[in-house]
Amino acid sequence: MIKKIKHFINYADLRKFRFWLQLFFFVFFIYGGYLAIDLGREIPVFSCGYNHETAGTCYFMPLQHQLARPWETLFSAASIGVLTSFLVFLLWFIVFNKAWCGYACPMGTLQDWITSFRKFLGIPYSTYNDTQYKSLKKIKYIFLIIVIIFPLLIGLGLLDGEWRGAFCDMCPARVITPMFVGDFSQWSIDFSTKTAIFLSSFGLIFTALFFVGSFIKKRFFCFFCPMSAMHYIFSDTALLKLKKDGDKCTKCGDCYNVCDMQIKDIADDVQSTNILRDDCILCLKCVAACPEDDALHVDLVNYPIFKSTKGGFAKRMEMDTWEKKNDS
Amino acid sequence: MVDFIKRDKDDIYAKPILGFLFKNQKFIMTLKIVVAFIFFYAIYFGFTHQGKDNTFTWAVFWGIFWSLFMVVTLPTLGRVFCGICPHGFLGKYITKFGLKKKMPKWMQNQYIGVFILVIGWWGIYYMFPGIYRTPFGTAMMFLVMTILAFIIYFIYRDMSYCKYICPIGTLTRAYAKLSFTWLGSYKSACNECKTFECATACQHNLKPFTFDGRNSMTDCTLCMDCSAACEAISFKVKKPSFSLFSKFQILKAEVWTFILILAAIPISMAFHHGLGRSKVASDMIWAKTAEYFKGFIDFGSVDAVGLFAFLYAMLFTIIAATLGMYIASKILQKDYKKTFYDLGYSYAPLFILGSIAHSLESFFTRGYDRIIEGFAFGFGFGKVDIASLASRGDKWLAVFGILKWIAIIWALIILYKRMKLIDSTKLRKTLAFPFAALLVIFFLGVNSYRSYILDTYGRASRGTHGSHSSHAMKSTDSNHSKNINILSKSTKPLDTVYFSDKKPTPVSRMGHSGAHMMGTRDRSKVPSKKVWLVTDPLDDTKCVHNTIGKFFATDIDNNLVEVKLNQKSCTSISFKMPKSGYYKVYYLLETPHSINVAKYEYKRFDHSAEAIYEKEKMSAKTIQEIPFDILQLRAEDETFYSRPHSGDVLKFKVIKNGVAQSGVNISLTTQFGWQKNLKTDANGIAKIQLIQDYLPKWNKFNKRFKENFLVVATYTEDSKKYKASFSGIFTPPREAYSSYSYGFVITLIIIILLSGAIYLYRYRLQKPFKEVHFDD
Repeated sequence: MIKKIKHFINYADLRKFRFWLQLFFFVFFIYGGYLAIDLGREIPVFSCGYNHETAGTCYFMPLQHQLARPWETLFSAASIGVLTSFLVFLLWFIVFNKAWCGYACPMGTLQDWITSFRKFLGIPYSTYNDTQYKSLKKIKYIFLIIVIIFPLLIGLGLLDGEWRGAFCDMCPARVITPMFVGDFSQWSIDFSTKTAIFLSSFGLIFTALFFVGSFIKKRFFCFFCPMSAMHYIFSDTALLKLKKDGDKCTKCGDCYNVCDMQIKDIADDVQSTNILRDDCILCLKCVAACPEDDALHVDLVNYPIFKSTKGGFAKRMEMDTWEKKNDS
Repeated sequence: MVDFIKRDKDDIYAKPILGFLFKNQKFIMTLKIVVAFIFFYAIYFGFTHQGKDNTFTWAVFWGIFWSLFMVVTLPTLGRVFCGICPHGFLGKYITKFGLKKKMPKWMQNQYIGVFILVIGWWGIYYMFPGIYRTPFGTAMMFLVMTILAFIIYFIYRDMSYCKYICPIGTLTRAYAKLSFTWLGSYKSACNECKTFECATACQHNLKPFTFDGRNSMTDCTLCMDCSAACEAISFKVKKPSFSLFSKFQILKAEVWTFILILAAIPISMAFHHGLGRSKVASDMIWAKTAEYFKGFIDFGSVDAVGLFAFLYAMLFTIIAATLGMYIASKILQKDYKKTFYDLGYSYAPLFILGSIAHSLESFFTRGYDRIIEGFAFGFGFGKVDIASLASRGDKWLAVFGILKWIAIIWALIILYKRMKLIDSTKLRKTLAFPFAALLVIFFLGVNSYRSYILDTYGRASRGTHGSHSSHAMKSTDSNHSKNINILSKSTKPLDTVYFSDKKPTPVSRMGHSGAHMMGTRDRSKVPSKKVWLVTDPLDDTKCVHNTIGKFFATDIDNNLVEVKLNQKSCTSISFKMPKSGYYKVYYLLETPHSINVAKYEYKRFDHSAEAIYEKEKMSAKTIQEIPFDILQLRAEDETFYSRPHSGDVLKFKVIKNGVAQSGVNISLTTQFGWQKNLKTDANGIAKIQLIQDYLPKWNKFNKRFKENFLVVATYTEDSKKYKASFSGIFTPPREAYSSYSYGFVITLIIIILLSGAIYLYRYRLQKPFKEVHFDD
């Protein structure tokens, strides 16, 4: 029985599974509010709280507000609340690791759809070269610093309270996600103060970049996403893990070719067992694309739940039909 | 021995300035001599200047050595404190000429030093506070310790005093494990070494070439004698506390040092100095125990409360540590002792980082100036007066508070890493983790409890700080009353009176208009609000005094509640708002021919899960005590977050004796003077659209500006006059400051530009096919 289930999973069409799951989570997070679903304010994806119908708010919004407390309060017992919401965030995160990005994040799903649209139009996509890749990947940590340091500076009195949600103001999810429930009010520039002008126009610039970027580059924004950086910091603690058996790898490069995030290590690194990198969105395309038995596998608490298999690869590539064609 | 070695990048000896500081023997020697001179001079000074004017002895011993220099260097640079310690410095020479006897077994016990420190120093400190504070006491203690040290150095070999007797020897050895420096050796050179100069040079009889392999620097005091003897000795920068992440020979005394010092210093301090200074200090268990025992024993000059605080701290800490580890060992199915000592190393950061925070804070608030003043005094510059770097209560000092959190996180990381070394299943380890971390949780709990108690009950006022602030309060109070006398006036029964949440204060006097009375910000208290009964136009409000009317207030369920009425010279009323909902305050003045009502309504909400906006419950209601009432009807889409904006239509309903009244004159006036008059319709409702008359210059614009409005309803029936007022606020609408068109245009321009740029870029990359001709 278990063998059958395993066989079924390992031979599954991941693309379909992922499409439906992504669609489900997209609808869930964007429209969940209509069904009075509220998972709290510690969700580890960009399910933005500016969308009033969200089923759970992105953790960065409360985090920034909590950290912006005056320091006397922040470093006192009152901050147990900060700690508990962090723990809740961690609990959410720990279960699925970065699969939150690849499966649940509405912004990630949206980018995947834009990519399909581009594919439909037949326009080729772009990639970064090595130097661009290395320098650009640091940007997400800069954003993470903005998320964490700016509120702290406000609490210290060094920065105006207007900067409280500085990252939220710059984040394209603030502009884009409310659109899906018919709220276009974020598509505006706030002229009330200079800071507000600056931040809100940044938000719109990033929104424009988001659309254009994700049109020509797969998962364009994930590359700069501070949540991804935040995930990576705690990814060692997660239960779901992406593992690689270097001995079984032939370095064919299939995994690298299907990787939306251009992670070279997935093909090149035959030393590490834990192959999850900071850019990874755990979409598992690499596992599905791997033609070697067991070379890549996804473990839930050390129990492999999805493995790369020769047979599964052949099935997904529809090899039998190809072979038939060649025969005839 | 090697004369030259190619040093690694992370070797401090290879660094330009640090290398000099740690490697140059002449510099180190000079430093040691200077330190020894200051040490003995300070002792001498303590005997010659026994009065309070001797700030020098305090500055040297309690300003610099302990605790500032020691706790700051220990978890960072390591045992550099021991490296320049005058005892060790002179002890080396004494040992050379001494008897070189082997220390007896019973004395080779690290607990001796630990117990001298914990009982002999901290125990005494809590029992007789102030005994070491005098210059004489300090000098005497250090002289006794010095003589004791020198005698032991003289009799026994291998610097045994440092290892076993010195009160801070084991402490420094233990906490130095957190540091990011590491004295080791280059294997390439040591593998071929047959002479072991580093070991022979070491007065402590240690073998520096084995440090790397043992993953422990054992008793090394960083005196740097070995590095002078052989070039193969390295002094590297590593990850902080890296040695704790892998196995090494544990020393039981080190773990007990972590636990006992944690109990003796931060926990006892939190008990005795933190909680002991709160207003509920006498309710604490140690105070009660002390009170109980005072009935049987005469404590004399012993501070019984301090003693029991110390004892309870010891008891609780040891219980937390042992119990937690015992349960953890059972879960892990390992030997209790082994688990205890293996995992006990994770307690290391708790005390030392918190102590750094405390030391740095006191250095900035009072240490710095006292050290400078002390040295000036000690070296004959007379009395100087230096300003301290910061004053108590400065906001930025809270920066140091972060160290406590780092300590807790660091401890948990070490525990996690050391847990990894234990051979057990992952599930068991995960389950055992919180129990093994019980002391960490206890530490967190004590700290949280301390701030909770101090926040909730406040500090007992005593000392200079308290009296100063109360003085300041008095002066502002008198200021206020002056202003109020000018502003308040008495009213006739039918004058328009209304409630304002701002105290009428003239702009010229206070600098800014009105104190912020948005309810108290203190999170531990029930939010409250204070409103003043005022009269005259909105832009020139005056207090009302000598009111003869009645006041009513309701809670969110429309029940009458008691409120605090302040009738001094300015009538004000304050009410508590424990839950989310609408709170109302009424003022009613009834005469045979007139009824005058003032009403204030406030929507209070928090972001908690209990704050649910139920339409029925939140609807506007009147109370039967009020014969003439204005209800502001809720908007269709009203929530806790909504607030009236310019442009919104407000609906008011007038109720007379419980029935909607038509034909009532309604007038709405805004703060800037705009007014609208109309009559209520058949349902007793009047609809008024708010205009936008807040039009400041752009750079003065505030999107959260609260403009006041005042609604007055008047009605005459059978020559009886009815009047009611209702005050509220509204803010600028979103459209006043945000622009869609700009937003769309900017986004569109960027999208077009980017697409164009990408198209061009790709177009250029495409190279048209071109035939290449080669000339033959």
